[in-house]
Amino acid sequence: MAAGRVAGSDAKGDCQVTAVSAESRLIEIQTKAKDLLEPGIQAVVEGVLAQFGSPNLAIAVGDFGALDYVLAARVETAVRQALLVSAPPQIAAILRSVSEPDRPRRSRLYAPGNNPRLLAGIEVHGADCVLLDLEDSVPLAEKATARILLKHVLAAIAFPEEVWVRINGLDLGGEQDVREVLLGRPHGICLPKAESVDDVKGLSELLDETEAVYGIDPGFTKIMPIVETARGVLNCAEIAAADPRVVMVSFGAEDFTRDVGARRSERSLLFARSMIIAAARAAGIQASDTVYSDLADPEGLLLEAEAARELGFDGKGAINPRQLATIHRAFSPTNDELAYATRVVAAAQEAERSGSGAVALDGKMIDRPVLERAERTLRYGERLGKGGDVA
Amino acid sequence: MKNAIGREIPERIGSREVAPFQGAFAAIRNDRKLARYQKGALRDEDKVLPSIEAAIEASGLSDGMTISFHHSFREGDRVINSVLAACANKGLKDLRLFPTALFPAHAVVIDHIKAGVVSRIEGSMNGPVGAFVSQGGKLSEPAVLRSHGARWRAVEAGDVEIDVAFIAAPQADSYGNATGIRGTTPCGPISFSTVDAQYARKTVVITSDLAPYPVYPMEIQQGWVDYVVVVDEIGDPENIASGTLRLTKSPTRLLIARMTTDAVVHSGYFVDGFSFQGGAGGISLAATKYLGEEMEKAGIVGSFGMGGGTKMLVELLHRGLIRTILDGQAFDLDAVQSLREDEAHVLMDPGMYANYDSRGSSTYKLDAAFLGATEVDLDFNVNVNTHSDGMLLHGIGGHQDVASGAAMTMITIPTLRGRIPVIVDSVTTVTTPGEVVDVIVTERGLAVNPTRQDLRDRFLAAGLPVRELADIKAEADKLIQPVRRPVFGEEIIAAIEWRDGTTIDVVRKVEGFE
Repeated sequence: MAAGRVAGSDAKGDCQVTAVSAESRLIEIQTKAKDLLEPGIQAVVEGVLAQFGSPNLAIAVGDFGALDYVLAARVETAVRQALLVSAPPQIAAILRSVSEPDRPRRSRLYAPGNNPRLLAGIEVHGADCVLLDLEDSVPLAEKATARILLKHVLAAIAFPEEVWVRINGLDLGGEQDVREVLLGRPHGICLPKAESVDDVKGLSELLDETEAVYGIDPGFTKIMPIVETARGVLNCAEIAAADPRVVMVSFGAEDFTRDVGARRSERSLLFARSMIIAAARAAGIQASDTVYSDLADPEGLLLEAEAARELGFDGKGAINPRQLATIHRAFSPTNDELAYATRVVAAAQEAERSGSGAVALDGKMIDRPVLERAERTLRYGERLGKGGDVA
Repeated sequence: MKNAIGREIPERIGSREVAPFQGAFAAIRNDRKLARYQKGALRDEDKVLPSIEAAIEASGLSDGMTISFHHSFREGDRVINSVLAACANKGLKDLRLFPTALFPAHAVVIDHIKAGVVSRIEGSMNGPVGAFVSQGGKLSEPAVLRSHGARWRAVEAGDVEIDVAFIAAPQADSYGNATGIRGTTPCGPISFSTVDAQYARKTVVITSDLAPYPVYPMEIQQGWVDYVVVVDEIGDPENIASGTLRLTKSPTRLLIARMTTDAVVHSGYFVDGFSFQGGAGGISLAATKYLGEEMEKAGIVGSFGMGGGTKMLVELLHRGLIRTILDGQAFDLDAVQSLREDEAHVLMDPGMYANYDSRGSSTYKLDAAFLGATEVDLDFNVNVNTHSDGMLLHGIGGHQDVASGAAMTMITIPTLRGRIPVIVDSVTTVTTPGEVVDVIVTERGLAVNPTRQDLRDRFLAAGLPVRELADIKAEADKLIQPVRRPVFGEEIIAAIEWRDGTTIDVVRKVEGFE
């Protein structure tokens, strides 16, 4: 029997739970407004214990305003430590529909996987992809706790758009990450520091196996490799084409500049960015630019986002919900673009009706890629509701 | 009996007969009232007394009488505690305390209640005093809570007769003229006490900065003042900003502020000459900031912003985005400084702000207001007084006044505070009725009162996330187990008055939980 390490913290929105073996089952709850909250907290604790066959444990809960999913995660963490259970129990998860490969992914919003306060309400900000992080934002000692927390977040929250999890490298805990969080059925898994076909294949095989065990449709879980090293950039064409699960490649500039010894600037990142876009397009998938880490500089963010859009990126990372409006503005089709796309598609339909092989608009030939781009712009526009000021 | 919003109100509360709330604007008064205390003076009367004790003696304060105070120093106030200590030393009993508000700094009031020095309270009780009174059996009569405007009305109407008004004055002259915006420790306007000074049997100005005659601006005038007392310290201006005055970093709260601003922009009211009031909470401050950005972008200049003055509001004035600030109280020292320096930062007393029995309230000139709440319910009723556990922990402030005055009243709330839901089926206490609440803004979207189809249409046309309040509630409720509700007994802790003196709700003693 392991000693009861404390699961969780005393931060706002979190709770601290310990579990130790006892003669009988014992639940002790401390919280503000105990009269109001005690029965609810008790019910959550008992729900988790039932999954483990209601063992005789003394559970102590110190609540600091944790929502049910946080509380359940902390209790599960404490119970698994006490019972030395490493395999995750089943969880009743929200059923998500499979990710459409070509849906708008203007933004991918990072949220640290170990911080209940920052995870609370992360789904309401309108991000195209929420990216729950187990990698860089989570200290080593908190990885195991965080992956259980994220499983519960995934199971409890109906994300209006897409939800992904950034795991650790497969040999650095990423395998456990996948086995845990896949129970919550995320749309996809983000693979950091992807450097080769084998990295992607390795993850895809792990997903094959895990999906089969958990009864998830084969191929449901998509992959987003993050290219953020010199090797990754040089191999990105193969990475992008490595597996049908891959729907988007993302760029990570912070690690990349460190890896190649560059100072971060538009110029120093241009090669990597261009490589990634070409690789993604060649593989028929999307590309997303790196994050802009100065939260206090929305103008700088807008310039960088517009430059990324100009290069061909479909979207950009966000470190805080405050950046989303700016990013969405940069990557949404403008009203002019929508109007032009409408005319291109109309011209193509007209050409088809009249049986003419070539499509022309304003005296210029419209070739296949331009038409496809126009159709895609219209699909985006429809999906996003209206033109460029969509936030 | 049930009042107009279905709340059970007894016919008498303590020794008072109660008129039930009949609607936000049900009765308009048209008669004469004579509640003012008349007293003349000779040419060379000396008003300066050496101590608070001397003033208590001179005023003839005796057992059972009513004493009043303002709250402009908030957490920094020293005068309420000093006067009560002096009353206790003099062996006075059964005083009725009539402050505009009490704060945690006044927790010593609890000891005075226990000792019998204070036996009744009419006024806001923020924090520990409210928690103590909520236990029941502490006061000889239930407390009465009124909004800023309603308190003014109650004094004028003679509902509350003040025996001695004690007025903390950052600067005063020996003849009684006094202001809160000058002196060694300025706290901002003290005009909450203007009506007290006019109507009290005796008025005592307490200052730590006695300046040569005449002191101005004369928020308190010589003709209303009986005595002037000089003391070492009346309050600490650093504490007038009571905790809430930080620009929030919470993404959820910023999102609410963003949505609030978007709603204002698309409300139809956002045109040149636009006016608004926001509170001092984190969401309000952020919304004020965003609103300034939108005004700049749209080239709109507002006619006035209404205070509680804040740094944020002063910045809008300095940037030329609003022409005027009408200010009843200062929430930070930037606002106090601006009141001294900016001609367009105008002092306003609560009578001008929101007296129901008057021929005009500044709140009626407001286009938009954003206010907070401890709870809202599916009828759009708002509670700012009690928590979901039934504890009386906050005053009304200007909530009723602003909500019933503004053309568009928005309540800005997160759907959850920790594990406690903010949207409930029926609020624990109704402070402000749903009939004067137009929009509820949460991080999960905004809900429009069904009476405001016009606003709903405009918001939908602008692509704002308009939703049914019940749907927002259901989404938040999924994240938590149901919360136990308190069971209330018969004993009434406090009456919540509406602006016109009718009773909109009562706070009852909590006997247990479901």
